[in-house]
Amino acid sequence: MLQQSIIEDLIHASLSTGGDFAEIFVEDKFNSNISLVGGKIENSVSGRDYGIGIRIFQGLNSVYAYTNEHDREKLLAIAAQAAKAIKGGPTNITLDFTRKSFQTRHPILKYPRHVPKTEKVEVIKNVYDIAKNYDEQISQVSVSYLDEDQKVLIANSEGKFVEDQRVRSRLGIQAVATKGTEMQTGFYGPGAHKGFEFFDQIDLNHYGSEAARIAVTMLHADECPSGQFPVIIDNEFGGVIFHEACGHGLEAAAVAKKNSVFADRIGEKVAPDIVTYIDDGTLANEWGSANVDDEGEEARKNVLIENGILKGYLIDKLGARRMGTESTGSSRRESYKYAPTSRMTNTFIASGKSTPEEIIANTEYGIYAKYMGGGSVNPATGDYNFAINEGYIVRDGKIAEPVRGATLIGNGPKTLQKVDMVGNNLAHGQGMCGASSGSIPANVGQPTIRVSEITVGGRKEQ
Amino acid sequence: MDIIQFKDKLFEQGKQMGFLDMEVYYQKNGKFSTKIYKGEVDDYSIANDGGISLRGIYKGQMGYAYAEKIDADSIQLLLDEAIDNANILDSEDQETIFEGSPSYEKLDLYSEKLDLLSSEEKIDLAKQLENECFSLSDKVDSVNYCVFQELNSERMIANTKGLEVSEKGNVAYIFVSVVVKEGEDIKNASKLTLTRDLSSFEPALVAKEVVNEALSQLGADSIESKKYPIILKNKAAASLLQVFSSSFSAENVQKGKSRLQGKLGREIANEIITIVDDPHKEDGFASRSFDSEGVATKRIEVVSKGVLNTFMHNLKTAKKDNVTSTGHGSKGSYKGTIQLSPTNMFIEPGETSYDDLVKGEREAIVVTDLQGLHSGANPINGDFSLAANGYLVRDGKIDRPVNQITVAGNFFTILEQVETVGADLEFTLSNGYIGSPSLKIKSLSIGGK
Repeated sequence: MLQQSIIEDLIHASLSTGGDFAEIFVEDKFNSNISLVGGKIENSVSGRDYGIGIRIFQGLNSVYAYTNEHDREKLLAIAAQAAKAIKGGPTNITLDFTRKSFQTRHPILKYPRHVPKTEKVEVIKNVYDIAKNYDEQISQVSVSYLDEDQKVLIANSEGKFVEDQRVRSRLGIQAVATKGTEMQTGFYGPGAHKGFEFFDQIDLNHYGSEAARIAVTMLHADECPSGQFPVIIDNEFGGVIFHEACGHGLEAAAVAKKNSVFADRIGEKVAPDIVTYIDDGTLANEWGSANVDDEGEEARKNVLIENGILKGYLIDKLGARRMGTESTGSSRRESYKYAPTSRMTNTFIASGKSTPEEIIANTEYGIYAKYMGGGSVNPATGDYNFAINEGYIVRDGKIAEPVRGATLIGNGPKTLQKVDMVGNNLAHGQGMCGASSGSIPANVGQPTIRVSEITVGGRKEQ
Repeated sequence: MDIIQFKDKLFEQGKQMGFLDMEVYYQKNGKFSTKIYKGEVDDYSIANDGGISLRGIYKGQMGYAYAEKIDADSIQLLLDEAIDNANILDSEDQETIFEGSPSYEKLDLYSEKLDLLSSEEKIDLAKQLENECFSLSDKVDSVNYCVFQELNSERMIANTKGLEVSEKGNVAYIFVSVVVKEGEDIKNASKLTLTRDLSSFEPALVAKEVVNEALSQLGADSIESKKYPIILKNKAAASLLQVFSSSFSAENVQKGKSRLQGKLGREIANEIITIVDDPHKEDGFASRSFDSEGVATKRIEVVSKGVLNTFMHNLKTAKKDNVTSTGHGSKGSYKGTIQLSPTNMFIEPGETSYDDLVKGEREAIVVTDLQGLHSGANPINGDFSLAANGYLVRDGKIDRPVNQITVAGNFFTILEQVETVGADLEFTLSNGYIGSPSLKIKSLSIGGK
C-alpha cells in the first residue's frame, strides 16, 4: 500500500522535533453504494478512497496530519510540517518493524468487488418487492445497498507493522405507508463484517416485511401519551439507548479528562446486579468487528460493567497515556481523515434470566418500545433523547394498542440504575456511531429489558 | 500528473470507450485545526486532501465514479466504474450535462488575511477564549471544547460541453462549549462562530454569552405535562427549519416525500412568514455562485407572505416540472451524486425583540434548544417530538430554567399558527446555513412530569 522505506522515512521525519511516538496509517478503500426508489435504481456510485494519516505524540500532546498525496517528497513535507507543531530536538530511534500476521477471525466468502452489480441489483429489487407487496397501504419503498472493502496498514515508531482488511455489507430498507394525508415510515438496516454472502445468509423476507409492517402499524396508531412510565425496551437495536447514554461515558475520551460520571469509579456499583455490559470487537463477522483496532492493537472482549460493578473502560493509546494504563484495543476512526480515539465496537447488555413474556406480564401499565429509532446524548451531562419507531401501550400485563410519535428522554447513568428486569434473548442491531473520530460501524445490543421509569414525550392531547 | 492533464486524458479515453458527454468535479481542501484544553494545545491537526469525480452519459444513463489518487490507474478505474454504475440504472428522469449559464455572480468568499494568519495566532485566540470562559464564574467546571479551525476549499467543474467554472473560499470556525457545575447539577452550553473577518471576533463577548447561557440552566427542572404557549428561540426555530427544509426540495415533492405536494401557489403559512434562500449572502457560509451542476445561483423566496412560491430545483427536477433550475443542485462532496439542498435559507425577521416576546406572555415556555432532530422529527409529514431545554415564563418574566421535557407538534402547523415573528435572526450550520428569528407560537404539547 505504501513502501516500507517511505514509511520508515516518514516516522523519522515525524520525530525530528522531539516527538516520542509516531504512527503512519495508510488506507485504501473501495466503496459501492446503490439506491433504489420506487422500484427503480436511481443512483449507483462507486469509488476509491486513498490516503495517509500521520500522528505524532509528545507526552500528552498529539499532532495529526492527513493527505491523499502518495509521492515520497510531498509526504515528507507534510510530516515535517506536522512535526513543526512540536518544539524540541530530534528523537533518535532505531526502527525495527515486526510484521504481524494473523489468522482472520472474520473470513470473507464473496468479495463484493468480484460480484457483478447486476447481482446486487437483484437483492435490492427482491427486498423492494417484499416490502412493497406487504400491504396495499405501502405507498413508497426505498432501498439502499452498500459494500466496502477497506485495507489498512498501521506502522509506528514502537516497531508495529500490521495490515488488516475489513469488508462490510449493509442494506437499508425504508417503507412509507399512506392513508389520506397521513404518512408513516418503517426502517430496517441489517449489516455485517461480511461480503456478498451476507445476502444469501439472511432472511430478506423478514427484513423487508418488518420495515413495511412497522410503517403500516404506525399508520393506524394513536399518538403516544406523555409522562413518566415503566418502559420495556425490546432486544437488538433497543441497545442504542445504553450505547449512547452509558457506552460513550465509558470511553477514555470522556473518562481521562473526567468528563464522565463513570470516571474514577472502577470497582464501584454503578448499576443494578442484573446488568452486565460488554464491548466485544472479536465477535465473528459482526458489523462492529475487526481483527485489529485502528492503532493496530488486537481486538478483544472488554467487560465494562459486571453484575452492576464498574470493571473497565474503552481505552486508546493517547487515553492510556492520560490515564496511566494500557490500551484495550478500542481505538477506531472513520478513515485516514481522522485521528483515532477510544470507541465502541459491538457493545451489549448480557442476557439475564427473565423471559420477554414474563417482563410484559409483570407490567401493569407502561410503554413497550418494540423498535427504537436514533437519538443523541449530551456527553457532558449524560442527558439523552431517543425516538421510538414502533411503540405500544402495555396494560394489565398485556401488549395493547400501538402508539406513535414517542420520544424517551432521561439521564443515562440514572436510567441505568432503574433497569429492573433483564431478558434472556440477547440480539445485536447495526448502526453508525458518530463522534470525534468520525462515523463508524458499531453494533448495539441487548435482551428485552425493563426500566422502572422513563420520561416519555408524546403528542396525545392531555 | 496535474488535474488539467488528468481531466484531458480522462475525457479522451472516455470518448473512445463510448461516453457521450462527460464532466469532472474536482475539490481540494485545506484544514488547520486546534483544540485547547486547560491552557494546553490538546489537539493539533493539518490536512490537505481532495478528490475527483467523473459523471458521464453512457448508453443513455449517467454513470458516476470517484477517486482520491490522481494517477494513471485512477483514469481507468473511474471510466470502468462509471460504465458499471450506468449500466444498472433504470431511472426515467435523465440527468444532463450543462453547457453553462450566461453569467455568474462574483462572490467574495475568500479572505487572504485569514489565510495568512499564523498557527501561533490561531492558538492564542483559542487560548484567550478558553481563559475568558474560566474567568467569568467559579462554576465553570470545564471548557470541554474550545476549537479553532481554518478551512479552505476550492471546487471546479469542467465538462465536454465547454463549461469550466471554479470558486474558492475559506472560513474560520470557532466552537466553544462550557460545562458549569453547582453541587451535583451539571449544565452545558455551546456556541459556534463562523467568520472570515477575525477582527470582528471578540472572545470576551462570546465567552460571556455561552457561560451565561449555561449558568442560566442551573437548577432546571421538568414541568407539568400540558399545552403551553411557546416562544421558539431563534436557534431552536432554525434547527427545525433545517430538518423540514427538505420539504421544499422538488425531488421530494415529485417522489411523494413532501407534504407540500400540490400546494404551489397556495397559502401554507401565516402571512407574516417569508422564507428566503439567498446563495449570494456575503456573510452566509453556504454561499456559492454556481451549483454542483454548474448552474448560476440566485436568491429565491420559497414562501412569500405565507404563500408557497417555488420549490428548490436542479436541472432534472426542473425539466420534469417544465420550469428552470433554481440553482439548488448539490453534492455532499465529490463522492456524491446530484441532490438538492438549501444554501443560506432563513425566515425573514419581523419587528418584535426577543425581550418583548417574553414580556407579552403570562405563562409560556421559551424553547432554547431542541435535541435529537435526526430521529425525533419526521421530515415527510412534519411531525416532531423532541427533547428540549428552555425557560418557564411567568407574568412577562423568565421565572426558572426548564429541562427534561419534550416538545411535540407539527412543523407545518407551526407555520400556520405563528403569531409573532421576532427580530433576532440567527443562523445554524448543518446541511446548509439555516436561520430564523424567534417565533411566538399559540401552543404546543409539552411532556414533562
